[in-house]
Amino acid sequence: MIWFTWRQFRTPAVVAAGALAVVAALLMISAGGVSDLYSGVAACRTDCADTVESFLTRFHNSASGTIYYTTMAVMYAAPPLIGVFWGAPLVAREIEAGTHRVAWTQSITRTRWLATKLGLVGAATAAAIGLLSWAVTAWAGRVDSAAADRITPLVFGARGVVPVAYALFAFMLGVTVGMLVRRTVPAMATTLIGYAAAVAAMPLWLRTHLAPATHETPALDMGKLDALMISQSGEMLIEPDPVADAWTITNRPITTTGEVFTGPADPTRCGPDMPNGSCADWVGTLGLRQDVVYHPGNQFWTLQWIEAGVFVALAAALAVLSFWWLHRRSS
Amino acid sequence: MTVLRAENLTKRYGRREALADCTLDVPAGRVVGLVGPNGAGKTTLLQLAVGMLTPTAGTITVLGGRPGAGPDQLAKVGFVAQDAATYANLTVADHLRFGARTNPRWDQAVAGERIAALGLDPRQKAGRLSGGQRAQLALTMAIAKRPELLVLDEPVASLDPIARREFLRALMAHTAEHRTSVILSSHLVSDLERVCDHLIVLTASRVRVAGDVDELMGTHYRLTGARRDAADLPAGAEVIEHSATGRQSTFVVRSVVPIDDPSLTVEQLTLEELVLAYLSRSVAAHRPELEAAR
Repeated sequence: MIWFTWRQFRTPAVVAAGALAVVAALLMISAGGVSDLYSGVAACRTDCADTVESFLTRFHNSASGTIYYTTMAVMYAAPPLIGVFWGAPLVAREIEAGTHRVAWTQSITRTRWLATKLGLVGAATAAAIGLLSWAVTAWAGRVDSAAADRITPLVFGARGVVPVAYALFAFMLGVTVGMLVRRTVPAMATTLIGYAAAVAAMPLWLRTHLAPATHETPALDMGKLDALMISQSGEMLIEPDPVADAWTITNRPITTTGEVFTGPADPTRCGPDMPNGSCADWVGTLGLRQDVVYHPGNQFWTLQWIEAGVFVALAAALAVLSFWWLHRRSS
Repeated sequence: MTVLRAENLTKRYGRREALADCTLDVPAGRVVGLVGPNGAGKTTLLQLAVGMLTPTAGTITVLGGRPGAGPDQLAKVGFVAQDAATYANLTVADHLRFGARTNPRWDQAVAGERIAALGLDPRQKAGRLSGGQRAQLALTMAIAKRPELLVLDEPVASLDPIARREFLRALMAHTAEHRTSVILSSHLVSDLERVCDHLIVLTASRVRVAGDVDELMGTHYRLTGARRDAADLPAGAEVIEHSATGRQSTFVVRSVVPIDDPSLTVEQLTLEELVLAYLSRSVAAHRPELEAAR
């Protein structure tokens, strides 16, 4: 059965290995260039902010910048592609073509039939995405540490161990949906929608609950404002700078009584005719505090492992469901 | 020795009964024809026999075991499904290798010989084979598995007359040599007439008659005579079909004792006429309902 599963899976496996090789070659060729750009940062000992800034600007303007965004796209696209092209057809195509009746009437149980398929293709999924994520994470290590943004949602999902868990989840989702829907193309579409919903829900609503966030209310530093806007009606929107090397969840000014400060602006101090800085000086006298909730960068691996655990558990639950379904329904 | 035993076997899909209250006892070493119109439940019965389906109620035992119960039970039964599905992207040789790797009693010599005799190229992809060739490949896989029972669901339905004859000839050659039991279904009696020595007639989810062909032929008669009621027939004759024209009545009856009534002409039936009598009886049984519905 292992040989037969491999024989059926051979072409997709070769395609995936080829794609992996292309990405690996790109990363290896460009790694030297990134090292050269980084040499200034590596040599820097004190007051390195400008050096780092200049490295990031030069990096993003070079060919490596293109590769950075390309690999980002690849990291996000690979798991759903595996779900759609490896997972969904795995059982659905057999049912659609009637070949499951061939497989299930040889001298092996259908439990073993499914276990072999899930084991082999699941292992290939973990290996392929594991290698890809390891290569990309290593290649982008210097940029990520210079930009101090690897815990922010976009980078977080494309580094470390979570892509492997996403891929295993996508694969099992595809297999299970394929068993339920019994037709390949609708199963592919359903898998894609289901996967996108699950993976988008994570940073939007769930990830922040996986590990305790830091909550602080320091005095509002008027020298560190990202934005200060006043509407026609005098309503104010003040955005403090995001926390460095952290994933900022909430960041807003609050009054001494704890309410979110939204104005109204003092028309004698704030307005288009007032001198520059007059309005900021006035806000500074209100005794506002900053209400900030964030996950510091050092929670990166904690969040990575917990989130990976969540998706691996989902994949395992889908695997259990698929075996249960295989026995419950027959034909 | 029984190859298939079913007791009150029932399979329902929701409220629809695909097979109802089927009780059967098929002896070993027979080539069993399962005949009935499309949708009668033939595929359901065969899929229950190979373990593709599980019964809703009742029991089915095949070669002493529960169908599909484990590798040993699976090894004893060879199956070719209605569409004789094959893996379109895999070659003929891949199919044989699959069989070899998943069946403990696989006979590679038999498989290779059959493929060569059929003139199939082992490197040919199954998706490029003709319908007849695919059916032959599926049969080859089922035969090389060396099963004790071969179950074939409408194996010749999609074949042209020549492929049909070759397929049945190959099947007969194999069963004669290995004394494998065979159950094959068809909606055409003519396909089964030459090959079967046991017959099961299935219509509207129910078994109407089952038995060895010789026994069925020896106990069914067509009686023709002056117009009369079924009640006036000799005792022991079960009326299968009754038709009357003017002053004449015609009956198809089943009777274990020979009919000895000088007022009736007694004729032997062909197998096809016998089956048709059972098929029309089940249609007649449904007619009053239809009229009431109108």
